[in-house]
Amino acid sequence: MTESNQADDSKFDPLAITRPEPVLLKYYAAVAFLTGPGFPVAFLPLYFKYVTLAYKFDEDGVSMRWGILFRREVHLTYRRIQDIHLTRNLIQRWMGLATVGIQTASGSSGPEMSIEGIPQAEALRDFLYSKMRGARGLKPLPAAGSSSGSQPQQGDGAGREADADEPLQLLREIRDALRSNAMPPPAGQSGSAAGGETTS
Amino acid sequence: MKPKIEAASQWCYQGIWGVLTRYFRVPDQPPTLPPTAEDEQIQSFKPAYGFLNYLRLQFWVACILIDLGILIGWVIILVNSPWIGVALALPALFLAVVPDVIAYIAIHLRFDTTWYVVSDRSLRIRRGIWVIHETTITFDNVQNVSISQGPLQRYFGIADVLVETAGGGDKRAQQQAGHAMGAHLGLIQGIANATEIRSQLMARVGESLTSGLGDEDDLGRTRHSGWTDEQVTVLREIRDLVVAAGGLRDGTGSRQQP
Repeated sequence: MTESNQADDSKFDPLAITRPEPVLLKYYAAVAFLTGPGFPVAFLPLYFKYVTLAYKFDEDGVSMRWGILFRREVHLTYRRIQDIHLTRNLIQRWMGLATVGIQTASGSSGPEMSIEGIPQAEALRDFLYSKMRGARGLKPLPAAGSSSGSQPQQGDGAGREADADEPLQLLREIRDALRSNAMPPPAGQSGSAAGGETTS
Repeated sequence: MKPKIEAASQWCYQGIWGVLTRYFRVPDQPPTLPPTAEDEQIQSFKPAYGFLNYLRLQFWVACILIDLGILIGWVIILVNSPWIGVALALPALFLAVVPDVIAYIAIHLRFDTTWYVVSDRSLRIRRGIWVIHETTITFDNVQNVSISQGPLQRYFGIADVLVETAGGGDKRAQQQAGHAMGAHLGLIQGIANATEIRSQLMARVGESLTSGLGDEDDLGRTRHSGWTDEQVTVLREIRDLVVAAGGLRDGTGSRQQP
């Protein structure tokens, strides 16, 4: 459990993450150690951050909170993610950790949320990516056959035009049909104005 | 399974590269994107080889200038006080050679550890040796794409593509500082097919219905009209009903007069 550096991506469930792995504390200790004599000053806030750090992933978004004296909570939805950064420095690589930075369209240049202490950082990043806007591509255009004989479609460009104009086309047909129902057309025409380019 | 990263030069790969991948945990596989559809085209590529030559030229220019400076300084000392000059000969040589070797290796490592992954809907950039940084951006979120190419880069046939998403931060300063990561930005540096990438990105940005600001895009809107599929279906039903009613009245001949 404590030394689970080898990320087992096969049975990784991001929604089950609530706490960072204990190896994060070792990483924080190493970072604080690099400051030399400043170790106690640097380590104390990091220790409390580790102790209080909590994540919550759900279907729509992710939140994290930490802090003892000054508490912070960050909430964001997957759909509003602009870019995802995965950063691994040397110590993090040795410990099998990474920082997943999530940016929304806010004014700051730093990431809005930095998820630390997850050994399966790459799987987490790919999970977030798959939830991101545009990751699954645009909705496909409705099949041409579904529009019941509204228009002949010549080529691709014409097909798109037809799709764009289909509601307008339908509205025109309804108007024309209603008009021909309401007032008798001049001799011979009986409600066959469907598709006519009537000037309104 | 996947081919190992092809190193720019053999000695670099076998020696230092081996140490880096083994002891410094530098990934030896190119990055990739998780496929989100069956037919998604995903390609990983490195900067063009011209980028390596471009870096090398920059290196040689800087190397000659700095070493010339060291040589001139040493000669001045030698002329003024020969004994100190002789004593400083070895340190000066050390100072002139060692940083150059390190810089030359670093250039190759930089080239070898820079990777771009482009699919038809997103982009991933990996960069760095000590701090490995990977940025993922979907094209839906892209605000603008710019290409920059200096005269030297044009000579080597490469260009930089800068992909920006919405949001603040000092992007230009970061780009000039050379670590264009972190802010809402993706820098595709030193590629040969910059215009191709740019048109691929812009085509995708143009197709997007939203403003690239994290709005919902899966409301079922058709691509151009802004009507949802359900709305169009209801309209079709109304049309069919009205037409059918009209046909019925025509058949029975009981049309109302206005």
